[in-house]
Amino acid sequence: MPSIRLLLNPMRTAKQGVNVNIGKDSDEYKEITTTLTIHQEDMSSLGVEDGDSVLVRTEFGEAKFVCKTAKVPQGLAFVPYGPPTCELMDGGTDGTGMPTSKGWEVEIIPISELS
Amino acid sequence: MQKSKFLPRGRKDRTVVLVDIRETKSAKAADLFLQVRPGKDFEMLTILRAMIKGEHVTDDQVAETGLTTDVLQDLIERMKKAKFGVMFFGMGLSMTRGKHMNAAALLTLAAEMNAFTKFVAMPMRGHGNVTGADVIMRWQTGYPFGISFNRGYPRYNPGEFSTVDILVRGDTDCAFIIGADPGATMPRPAIEHLAKVPTIVLDPHVTHTSRLSRVHITTAPAGIAAPGTGYRMDEVPMPLRPALNSPYPSDEEVIRRIKEAIAEKPDWMTDQPQMIFSQV
Repeated sequence: MPSIRLLLNPMRTAKQGVNVNIGKDSDEYKEITTTLTIHQEDMSSLGVEDGDSVLVRTEFGEAKFVCKTAKVPQGLAFVPYGPPTCELMDGGTDGTGMPTSKGWEVEIIPISELS
Repeated sequence: MQKSKFLPRGRKDRTVVLVDIRETKSAKAADLFLQVRPGKDFEMLTILRAMIKGEHVTDDQVAETGLTTDVLQDLIERMKKAKFGVMFFGMGLSMTRGKHMNAAALLTLAAEMNAFTKFVAMPMRGHGNVTGADVIMRWQTGYPFGISFNRGYPRYNPGEFSTVDILVRGDTDCAFIIGADPGATMPRPAIEHLAKVPTIVLDPHVTHTSRLSRVHITTAPAGIAAPGTGYRMDEVPMPLRPALNSPYPSDEEVIRRIKEAIAEKPDWMTDQPQMIFSQV
């Protein structure tokens, strides 16, 4: 199975912030929070193209995202925070009150490989 | 950008340095972009602290952060020459490995820079009035968040009394959510606990949290259809008058009415709540 491991960085964007106030049931919000942006080389290693679905798996959970090429460093993946990223996070906070939600290694698998 | 007596040329007299793990849109607005390696914020901040004091740092140590000694030396020169510097920081520091230690390193750097010039550090806030919540809790209790009142006086301990930890441990048997949507933002174990216990939500929208709650009360959006005070990121309070009418009550009115209804119920605690704990 051609899966790769990348450093996932959930983040905030202006568009996501606007859509939080419009409503989280909107198609646009769902699209924003399920779009994973990665480097072209990583897309090739994964064998996927823009618009293909992938499964992101951590030791705590998994969620489905749509891949998109972007100008981001190789080895890193970015996605705006939202319900899908909640599925990937651990509940532990290391005594800080803040869960780790950025910069952790995840496994990315093309959906086409799972069926 | 504002022109002033000491900065007569406005933006041209100011320097913006962006530090991030990738080039964002903000890079276009910055004079300098420093691309730090993921997870190396603490190392970079500690190296900067050493360098401003003239301590020896090897090129290899600097290279580990993804930057070069020359770049950091140039940054330090700019910082020392500044009349008034401010470091804005966000979740890139607080939600990555190291967490509070990253923030502590940055705050220490800001404090130490005051040996050379005026410097402060300020957290970048995400949504509407997060700063307001922190400010009010601070002047009411002395603490910004993660506060327990269960002994009758406020106690502060992140990791113990902070929301995620309380929910994940399953400490609560009820949750009252106001103006937040943990069902769409918190880790899954915390969300699962909210679904298990009676959760009451006050929100202008039906949210992910509303769907797992027992009760959702629709309220007027604060600052739009209900009056209130919003705090700017720099903690300047702004009184807000409602621009629109709403058929729904404000958060404040709902809470007041709940409080009045509770006051009519017989008290289940003694006059001195501390007594419960002295018996344990």
